[in-house]
Amino acid sequence: MKLIDGFLDKLFEQQTRQLAQRSSRRGMLKTLGGFLVGAGAIPLLPVARAAAAEEAPGRPVEEGDPASCDYWRYCAIDGFLCSCCGGSENTCPPGTEMSPVTWIGTCRNPADGRNYVISYNDCCGKSSCGACLCQRDEGDRPPYRPDKTNDINWCLGTTSATYHCSTAIVVGVAFEGK
Amino acid sequence: MKTGLTILALFFTAFTAAAEINPQRAQFNYQMSCQGCHAPDGSGANAVPRMRDFVGNFLVTQAGREYLVRVPGSAVSALSDTDLAEVLNWIVVEFAGDSVATPFEPYSSQEVGRLRQQPLNEVVQYRAQLLADIASTNRRE
Repeated sequence: MKLIDGFLDKLFEQQTRQLAQRSSRRGMLKTLGGFLVGAGAIPLLPVARAAAAEEAPGRPVEEGDPASCDYWRYCAIDGFLCSCCGGSENTCPPGTEMSPVTWIGTCRNPADGRNYVISYNDCCGKSSCGACLCQRDEGDRPPYRPDKTNDINWCLGTTSATYHCSTAIVVGVAFEGK
Repeated sequence: MKTGLTILALFFTAFTAAAEINPQRAQFNYQMSCQGCHAPDGSGANAVPRMRDFVGNFLVTQAGREYLVRVPGSAVSALSDTDLAEVLNWIVVEFAGDSVATPFEPYSSQEVGRLRQQPLNEVVQYRAQLLADIASTNRRE
């Protein structure tokens, strides 16, 4: 038994000494550092960037009161604000249904100076809310351009065509390149 | 390792050159000109036709390929020929799914510019006839 112990001791001592002679502690750091830098470079590849860009627009930094017509997202709205009608800028009041068919514009967010794509989905199924009428109409076009006019009732695709109020949902970042 | 990287770089270059789609620009144009009715994922709503997992069916025949440019939403949109071609190509890549049977030949701005000169008026009837023709074409093959 002692013989084996002695043999093992010698073997490990020899191995450890050899390892210590052949490699440097800095070499280990260098290899590890290389991996760290390499891993950091991977998100720069186009695929990863595209994926990240899709996640970003959902939650812009914001300021202002969604129950006020001055709120930045309402730059192209024409209707009653759902924020004043028991819903919010993103959701319909109880008892109404959000129209999947909607009109879309862009608004500049003063908090970060970027333009965002805003979807003005109407909430339908109850008579007009009547509170907080807001008509800012930026980018509104005459009805001969039906996809870009907010004068028509957008309660399309819902079970009821009765208009109640409008939301203003951020659906993306405006493309500003060429 | 170096060879691997070169091949990888070449692959990416070749891929982007063939598709010529700037996904951010294409999606923005889709959002501004199409999404209001066709929905964010191309699924449509009630009378608005579904593009998701379906739009590729039109590419089976030449008339079907032309239809996607001649529908009013495409033909009379405010998009330039180049932007419209890019959005159509993006829609096929993004939404068509398994409905594209053969390798997709992207639309060029020249092709789109020519076809949108003949916008359709009776779209609903035309579409129904087109799909019937496409179904019989598929049965023959």
